[in-house]
Amino acid sequence: MQYPEPISKLIEGFMRLPGIGPKTAARLAFYVLDMKEEDVFDFGKALVNAKRELTHCSICQHITDTDPCRICEDQTRDRSVICVVQDSKDVIAMEKMQEFRGQYHVLHGAISPVDGIGPEDIHIPDLIKRLQDETVQELIVATNPNIEGEATAMYISRLVKPTGIKVSRIAHGLPVGGDLEYADEVTLSKAIEGRQEL
Amino acid sequence: MHIEQLTYENYRNYAKTDLTFDHNVNVIIGENAQGKTNLLEAIYVLAMTKSHRTAKDKELIRWEEPFAKIQGQIKKRTGPLHLEVVFSSQGKKVKLNRLEQERISQYIGALNIVMFAPEDLRLVKGSPKERRRFIDMEMGQISPIYLYHLSQYHKILKQRNRLLKDAYSKSFDDAMLDVLTAQLIPEAAQVIRKRYDFLNKLQVWANDIHEQISRGLEHLKIEYVPSAEVSNSMNLSTLEEKLQEQFNSVIDQEKRRATTLVGPHRDDLRFIVNDKNVQTYGSQGQQRTVALSLKLAEIELIHEQVKEYPILLLDDVLSELDDHRQSHLLSTIQGKVQTFVTTTSVDGIDHKTLNEAELFRVENGEVVKKK
Repeated sequence: MQYPEPISKLIEGFMRLPGIGPKTAARLAFYVLDMKEEDVFDFGKALVNAKRELTHCSICQHITDTDPCRICEDQTRDRSVICVVQDSKDVIAMEKMQEFRGQYHVLHGAISPVDGIGPEDIHIPDLIKRLQDETVQELIVATNPNIEGEATAMYISRLVKPTGIKVSRIAHGLPVGGDLEYADEVTLSKAIEGRQEL
Repeated sequence: MHIEQLTYENYRNYAKTDLTFDHNVNVIIGENAQGKTNLLEAIYVLAMTKSHRTAKDKELIRWEEPFAKIQGQIKKRTGPLHLEVVFSSQGKKVKLNRLEQERISQYIGALNIVMFAPEDLRLVKGSPKERRRFIDMEMGQISPIYLYHLSQYHKILKQRNRLLKDAYSKSFDDAMLDVLTAQLIPEAAQVIRKRYDFLNKLQVWANDIHEQISRGLEHLKIEYVPSAEVSNSMNLSTLEEKLQEQFNSVIDQEKRRATTLVGPHRDDLRFIVNDKNVQTYGSQGQQRTVALSLKLAEIELIHEQVKEYPILLLDDVLSELDDHRQSHLLSTIQGKVQTFVTTTSVDGIDHKTLNEAELFRVENGEVVKKK
């Protein structure tokens, strides 16, 4: 069936979003047609504004509408610790925890030769620059626990260790509140590997 | 374990097939090119989530259909188990008792199988790749942890090989190569250690069986031939040290050849019968006996590890074995191992195991139970 052009354009637009196939896109598009005009207008404005007004913080590379971002500006936060993450979403996740009071550094990716991504392509040089003044004493590397994330963590550690700054890696193992029997073998073996003395 | 029911839909050239098996030995008879092997392949795919004949999952889906689905009702020592594998353009999905499993490694091993096909007779004579495939497949079924380390190893290997291709470009970063080497070594050590452990156990069974088939005249030894200077007696940390030394010494060569030269992906197996390497000095008959001993040893090893006999798939091999080996094989499975045998005819084979078997006839892809 042929859709009128405005609808098919809208459907195509939705299909560019992750996790949305043609059927969901069509459903969303038709829903938009039934929405109040002002709601649609607000929604459209929100999309454009998010794109226009957000940039990467010039210090930590986190998405922000002010530069430097609110976390980097916050004088009450501990400037001696930087937590290195792969993605801006990871900063949001860490902030939800409300326990970490240090600074962040967002890499926007992980090293992966197969995908043509080297250390220069993610914000590692910026990170090294940040370490040059002497306030930073510890790096917590919180990249994802997969091969690319681990490689990135090891690479950063090799680069930074000689400067005398402490580099630590977040732990992996069992999820809190979960049952042991539901853990898969690999997670269990990692948990055994990383066991701690009581 | 026992397959009680097997259903497949849009698989290969079948719209839908539904089969029940209540005998221990099931003989599938048919002329060539009628689809006998497809039936064994379906069981194989149900267990391993991939075919032994093709690396392209797409080939398993019937022409112009959106998906292929294979299901099996299994009876295990621990109770009934329902297995399902679905292939579609979105990839494959696996379910245990109708619950989707996120990781394939959580699924593989639910149904244990041992397949013996004509190409296995080449196990001794064929390329090292075939012998690595043999050991990886068999270990993967009984050790999900092995499967995990092996897949991690191959992922890192791919990254490392990619990096080595740019070894002479301006932007090449030696620190990055060091990182990938450091990442690769623990996984390599795990894979090698676990292969040694597996072979130590397999060796005991295989030699025992080999002596029986050869009426005590031949003794079989399985040797692991590593690409690095490592040995059976080393623990993980010694293995890691040795691998690191080896990587240090081949680094320039690796850059020149733009590929990783040390590690389990370049290791091999060697079979020694009466102190001689069968690959070079053995007769064809000896090589076949070794292949048969290995397969039968696998059955016993799986039984030892999972406390249950696997399903045996014999694809057209009966006719490839002489009477003595044939009867040894049939006696081994008698009454304990559920077996699926394909053959063009059962004439001339008079063995209790086959006489008690249930016969299926395959013609133009249709499977019919024969009275």
